[in-house]
Amino acid sequence: MASASERSYTRRDTVLFCVCLGLSLVGLFAPAALGLSVAAALRQSVLAPLVWLQVRAEEGKTSRVRLRAITAERDSASYLAQGLPSLLAENERLRQLLGLSHRLSSPYVAAEVLHQPQATDGRTLLLSAGSRDGVAAFDPVVAPEGLIGVVLSAAPRTSIVMTWAHPEFRVSAFTVSGNAAGVVAPSPSGAGEGALEFRGVPYRDSVSVGTLVLSSGLGGVYPKGIPVGTVTGIVSEQAGWERVYRLLPAANPGSAAHVLVLTSPNGDLARAFPSDSALAAQRRDSLERIRVADSVAQAAREARAQRAESLAATRRDTTRARPRPPLRPDSAAARRPAAPAPATVPGAGAPPPTAGAPPAAPATGAPPAASGTGVSPAAPATSAPPPKAPPAGPPSKAPAVGSPLQPAAGAPTQKDTAR
Amino acid sequence: MIPARANRLQLAAVLALLVVLHFYVRPRLWGPRISPDFLFVGLMLFAMRSGPGASAVAGFLVGITADALTPAKFGAGALAHTVVGYLASWARAMFFADNALVNAGFIAVGLWMRDLLVLAASGGGDRSFLAELALYSPLQALTSALFALIVLLAFREWFSIRLDA
Repeated sequence: MASASERSYTRRDTVLFCVCLGLSLVGLFAPAALGLSVAAALRQSVLAPLVWLQVRAEEGKTSRVRLRAITAERDSASYLAQGLPSLLAENERLRQLLGLSHRLSSPYVAAEVLHQPQATDGRTLLLSAGSRDGVAAFDPVVAPEGLIGVVLSAAPRTSIVMTWAHPEFRVSAFTVSGNAAGVVAPSPSGAGEGALEFRGVPYRDSVSVGTLVLSSGLGGVYPKGIPVGTVTGIVSEQAGWERVYRLLPAANPGSAAHVLVLTSPNGDLARAFPSDSALAAQRRDSLERIRVADSVAQAAREARAQRAESLAATRRDTTRARPRPPLRPDSAAARRPAAPAPATVPGAGAPPPTAGAPPAAPATGAPPAASGTGVSPAAPATSAPPPKAPPAGPPSKAPAVGSPLQPAAGAPTQKDTAR
Repeated sequence: MIPARANRLQLAAVLALLVVLHFYVRPRLWGPRISPDFLFVGLMLFAMRSGPGASAVAGFLVGITADALTPAKFGAGALAHTVVGYLASWARAMFFADNALVNAGFIAVGLWMRDLLVLAASGGGDRSFLAELALYSPLQALTSALFALIVLLAFREWFSIRLDA
């Protein structure tokens, strides 16, 4: 039989259970709004610390997941960034090739270069286009930068290209300004591997460094106007006969990934290759011409000023000097070609220019072509006034500068003085 | 040992630890539907050491907490936890010995019964009701029982439970 304490203990438990059960049933069957409001009140008061704790836990879990995702994204970005430069380079090359294909007027076939691991890969290339695509032997192969080579043989699906690095490669070429022509061939082994030589250039045709060399179209294989290379220096020269120039190739077959095969080459393709080197060469040529023109004008000004000074000195001495018969400078020069030059130099001490001396080129820097202006170099030497009153001007180069480049400015003055 | 001689501070410390685990660690664990219910484990441990009335009150509080945090049917959790807490304390005093494995199984059965009562009181009777009782509730009961076993082994001195299973 249970004791009184055990009975009260059991009764109390039962009461507590019934109370809790009743409250639970009240909450269960109470209106939903009441239940929600009670739940909200509990969350905002008693359970607030527990909710805060759970929020922190969720944030930590979210941060961990986010950190994992960011790490994965960073790894992916790093992986992609490793291949980005090559992708950019390929994209740039394809863009250039696309621009070239738009500028080409002759039909072409685009092909991929299938590089091989052999050491001779740069001399011959394997292309992914063949006779089924229209490629035939002796079709020129170009890259956006310039000439690559010529098709050596064409299979149905592939073709072999002989590049400019091949020892048997030859192409007729001329400079972008058109003043020199020759044959471009690869440099022999040991004498500049990977370079080209511009051979057979006449000795009289000097080509400056930086000049762009294009295919001339002679021979019927390569059309005219394809950039071949840029002059970087002189390899050798045979005095009075020819010069051989070294060329920096315009296109590199070893790095070419996509090329164009010109299936029916014709016409001038110079406009299809407005490369930077061509523009730079043209710009250099223009600057050179401007510099020559400026030097000529400067020399003319100096000669004119010096002539004016000598004229003033002559006028001062006119009263004491015995009048001479009027004499034309040209006629004087014709009659006395070997006149004593020192007597014509206003400023003593300068070497006298003779009739056979080179004209203004040494002083002005003008090219030899400037001497072919029809101006006689001996005229000033004979038409200069007598050295009775040498002026204090710079006399050393005055005759050399002014004599060949001074047109007829001095002659009338001289005649006026004589009169 | 009788409950009156138990160290109430030690029991309170373990229960506080379980509360912290429930609100701070459980969100970080794997699937929330099968993660151990630390609050229920604490309720069952309290029911093992307390009388039916106190266990019913503790179950009511735990149920109210669950109802306040779960936007389902207010009162269902309180009802289920009250019943389970009361019955657990009463049944353990009547039938179960101080055995760790038996206590772990006891907790597993109690959790499954809690889920049954909650779902029944909430009015669920569709396929999700059966899937919850047949799949997720047993899995959660299993994980909770395993965790309870660990707690019993770790704090066996505090709970004065014989481990002669």
